[in-house]
Amino acid sequence: MFYRATHSTTYMYSQPVSICHTEVHLEPRKHWRQTLLEHSIEILPEPDFQVNRKDYFGNEVTYFAIHAPHTALTITSRCLVNLPISELPHPSLTPPWETVKAQALDADDEASFESNQFIYESPLVTIGAGFANYGAVSFQPGRPMLEAALDLQHRIFTEFKYDQRATTVTTPVEEVLRTKHGVCQDFAHFMIACLRSLGLPARYVSGYLRSGKDSIGSEASHAWVSTYCPGFGWLDFDPTNNVMPNDAHLTIAWGRDYSDVTPVRGVALGGGEQIIDVSVKVVPE
Amino acid sequence: MRAESQLDAAWQYKAKSGFYDELLTPDGQPRPHWKMLLETLDSIGPTDLERRWQEGRRIIHDHGITYNVYEDPKTTDRPWPLDAIPLAVGGDDWAYIEKAIVQRATLLNQILADLYGPQELLRKRLLPPELVFRNPAFLRACHGVKPPRGIHLHIYSADIARSADGGWWILGDRTQAPSGAGYALENRLVTSRVLPDVFRSANVRRLAEFFKTYRDTMRSLAPAHRENPRIVLLTPGPFNETYFEQAFLARYLGFTLVEGADLTVREDRVFLKTLGGLLPVDVIVRRQDDSFCDPLELRGDSMLGVPGLVQAARSGNVAIANALGSGLVESAAPSGFLPGLCRHLLGEKLLMPSVAAWWCGQTGPQRFVEQNLANLVIKPVFPSFGKQPIFGAKLSAKQRATFLEKLRAEPSLYVAQEQMALSTAPVWDNGKLTPRHMVLRVFAVAAGDTYTVMPGGLTRVSSSLDSLNVSMQGGGGSKDTWVFGKGPEPQITLLRQASSSVEVSRATFDLPSRVADNLFWLGRYSERIEPAVRSARAVMRRISQEADPSNSAGLDACFRVLAALEYIPAPAGEKYSPTEHESAVLDMIYDSEARGSLGWNIHQVRRVAWLLRDRISADAWRILNRLDQQFSADPPPQALRASRALELIDQVIQILSAFSGLVMDGMTRGYGWRFLEIGRRLEKAVRMVDMLHAVIGPGASAGQLEALLEMADSSITYRSRYLTSMQANLVVDLLLVDEANPRSVAFQFARLNEHIAELPESQSLTRRPAEARLALSLLTTVQLTDVDELVKPDADGRLTALETMLTRLARDIKLLSEKLNGSYFTHAVASRRL
Repeated sequence: MFYRATHSTTYMYSQPVSICHTEVHLEPRKHWRQTLLEHSIEILPEPDFQVNRKDYFGNEVTYFAIHAPHTALTITSRCLVNLPISELPHPSLTPPWETVKAQALDADDEASFESNQFIYESPLVTIGAGFANYGAVSFQPGRPMLEAALDLQHRIFTEFKYDQRATTVTTPVEEVLRTKHGVCQDFAHFMIACLRSLGLPARYVSGYLRSGKDSIGSEASHAWVSTYCPGFGWLDFDPTNNVMPNDAHLTIAWGRDYSDVTPVRGVALGGGEQIIDVSVKVVPE
Repeated sequence: MRAESQLDAAWQYKAKSGFYDELLTPDGQPRPHWKMLLETLDSIGPTDLERRWQEGRRIIHDHGITYNVYEDPKTTDRPWPLDAIPLAVGGDDWAYIEKAIVQRATLLNQILADLYGPQELLRKRLLPPELVFRNPAFLRACHGVKPPRGIHLHIYSADIARSADGGWWILGDRTQAPSGAGYALENRLVTSRVLPDVFRSANVRRLAEFFKTYRDTMRSLAPAHRENPRIVLLTPGPFNETYFEQAFLARYLGFTLVEGADLTVREDRVFLKTLGGLLPVDVIVRRQDDSFCDPLELRGDSMLGVPGLVQAARSGNVAIANALGSGLVESAAPSGFLPGLCRHLLGEKLLMPSVAAWWCGQTGPQRFVEQNLANLVIKPVFPSFGKQPIFGAKLSAKQRATFLEKLRAEPSLYVAQEQMALSTAPVWDNGKLTPRHMVLRVFAVAAGDTYTVMPGGLTRVSSSLDSLNVSMQGGGGSKDTWVFGKGPEPQITLLRQASSSVEVSRATFDLPSRVADNLFWLGRYSERIEPAVRSARAVMRRISQEADPSNSAGLDACFRVLAALEYIPAPAGEKYSPTEHESAVLDMIYDSEARGSLGWNIHQVRRVAWLLRDRISADAWRILNRLDQQFSADPPPQALRASRALELIDQVIQILSAFSGLVMDGMTRGYGWRFLEIGRRLEKAVRMVDMLHAVIGPGASAGQLEALLEMADSSITYRSRYLTSMQANLVVDLLLVDEANPRSVAFQFARLNEHIAELPESQSLTRRPAEARLALSLLTTVQLTDVDELVKPDADGRLTALETMLTRLARDIKLLSEKLNGSYFTHAVASRRL
């Protein structure tokens, strides 16, 4: 399936911003299920300085600075990706989750070494007994990795309530465990906390969801989870929609949590009050 | 060689058994490298040493050598605790230490280069990945950033200590932003003045060469402007524990002391915000922790940093020392892996071992730690987790159980170190020498492709013989550290060189806007005190001669002025009651806690001056310390308050004029000096207008006028000029419009105009800026005044013309201050997260 996506972010300020430094994670990332055909970023007013680079996790980052006073800033990212339907492994064929844990800890091949980076706490994801206990209900001894992860995803989907007013971008994951309310970002962080608390590698994926009647989170940036399963690679889970992402989930970037892959992050001098408007549109071609 | 009995008798020194003593061998003989020092001490004798050491303490106080104690809310700084007796280090010991420190700095630098690059050490399991990937000091944003010349670690320091068998051990590494080198230098300046004879004859190796290398290394890092790079020392600010040292080093090395807000990134280059505009910065010597350095790419909750700094470093346009991310190798946990890493990276045996450490992330060590808790110090595995060390021996049974529970839940967050039996060294305590446990902090700086070690260091000693805690925060003290050379040491005068190159060629242009702001306020605060002190003196003089009728009128004028200056409360009714207000004046003098009191105002001066430590001469600072001390002392008993007050006030007036004289004389005539002057002139003008307003009214009596002249420090001028009785018009003329009188309002306005005309905004040829127009209007207003008209009563018997004029002047002076603020000091606009 081919998609065209447009992601635009507008900041409006009550007073002029005299200088801003901004870093964006907006370019879709190539991976085994996804190819990127076109991508462009348009910034208004035009930046005085702009540079692209790859971040620590291999995501494309654009850094830009505007030195002239401005009262509005618009960043529009447009892309065309190919996301064919991929065959996902059969759950019962995946190794027992304890094997996954042991390999991530050993990290003796390049892929497990990579996965080792994702088994520890990170700025927005703490680990601890509360998360491990919740996860242990799904991760019974000897259970195949994918089967257990799907069960965990299902439990989060059924036991947690999607509620846009319940949380903000900085809501701690402990609070999500306590209130069982939140949005895609909270569910992703929570599932990551459960997996890592059991010693399993888990990363945070930011992206878009194809617009549709029955899926949650398509009007804005979406987020889900990826975990490493030796022999099968990184497998994705969307606890907000209770599906394994396939041809409807467009991957932008991944990292340890939201703070590694924040779509737009910046520091501005001045500005007074600010209003932010974000819109995402994903249409099949 | 001396016999033990002498040491014992004259100095009462006895080593503590079970520990290595730096001075005495186990059989009680002094070690050979202490010989010269001991001979000198013997020739001085305890009484004379105590006298000399009083001089040492005076130097510490006068230099204002301090460190900040976070937990102490009362003061921001404490005098630096230095011991009179230096630590002598033997030649063999030092040769070994020097080699070991160079090796360790080289090793840690290579480890950093790998972890921020290919990470081969993790892939080969020479270091567990968890110690890096889980460590908050591993700054992923800095991975792949290539520092100039491949140096991550420019300045390295280590705490080393000696165990009972005499072997040296590394207790901890400082790789983030090591502190202490400046204190070591200050210790040297003090100790070498107290023991000058032996310092010279014993060929103690000088520290200046090390600092010259330090400066040369920083210069060599500059990616551009290699002839004359701009080097700044980035401080977290005046409330940091070692701010004194940072300001001292900046002065000594000729670097500009800056805070994060003084810097800005344009495109991918770093600039210093100065009065003259943005100036490129080539090298940043960093004393701020790296995670706080860039709110965009590092800790977003920090507003101390410079947005875009990481990108500037990535682009290679600025060198940062130490490189961002260098705090990664500060943890104690990897120490067990260092011997292997040293063999792998350098092909050498690790020369100096780390004190035994057990990282509980491995099962064997965890069990060991649980069983041997009583003999261990437990630390958080990553220093940035910020938890205090736990001394196993000091835990109660209950605390022990709680701690073990936490340890079992998250073993890999803890590292346990052996509690070392630290060696002892003699300290001078109440007329005798007595042993204290010690730790030596040594320093290395990158030089070419290797490192140079400071020949000396910062020795820290415990506060008592029972304590093994040598931290300053824990009440420990410090010592100079003597390493001996083979012959006389060459003299290197870095101090003079550094200060002259700064003062002459750079200071004017490098003045950060923040510093100009502080200088302006230093000028204002210091002039705020003088009229109050003179008025208080006028009160005290008159109170002692109650009988004279003109005195009560004079007293009334003084009270009015003091109330107008807001030093004492205004009267409840029309009249001032002498007894009530006399006591208010005494309170103003003695109660330095009360807001608005003399002591409080002097404290404000010192506070602003403190922010300017790197700009004010040591002499001026010394004077200010003396002034502050006058008011920190306990007030005299109630009965003596009045009689002592006059004496105190006279001293304050002398000290104040010495201070302004020194500050003014010592400063180059750049923008900094102009802003200080502008602040002073503005404040003098405001105060004089207030005084005139308070005293000159219809039918002001001779007694009142005389008191006014006295408070305005113009009595002599008046008498020499007019030789007549008091007349209001003549007094107003002298104090308001006489440009020849340096106390007059007109004189201040004339100076203000001169200074403002030289400021950067006034250099535009097309248009006079707002502050210049306002200053000119103030000057012409007083110049055009007809004084006789001004003091003529109107139909109601009031001096309306004078009142209107003074009100207008007061308003416009305030406006001028605001305009200057708007043009020059608006650097402090807050930045925020998108």
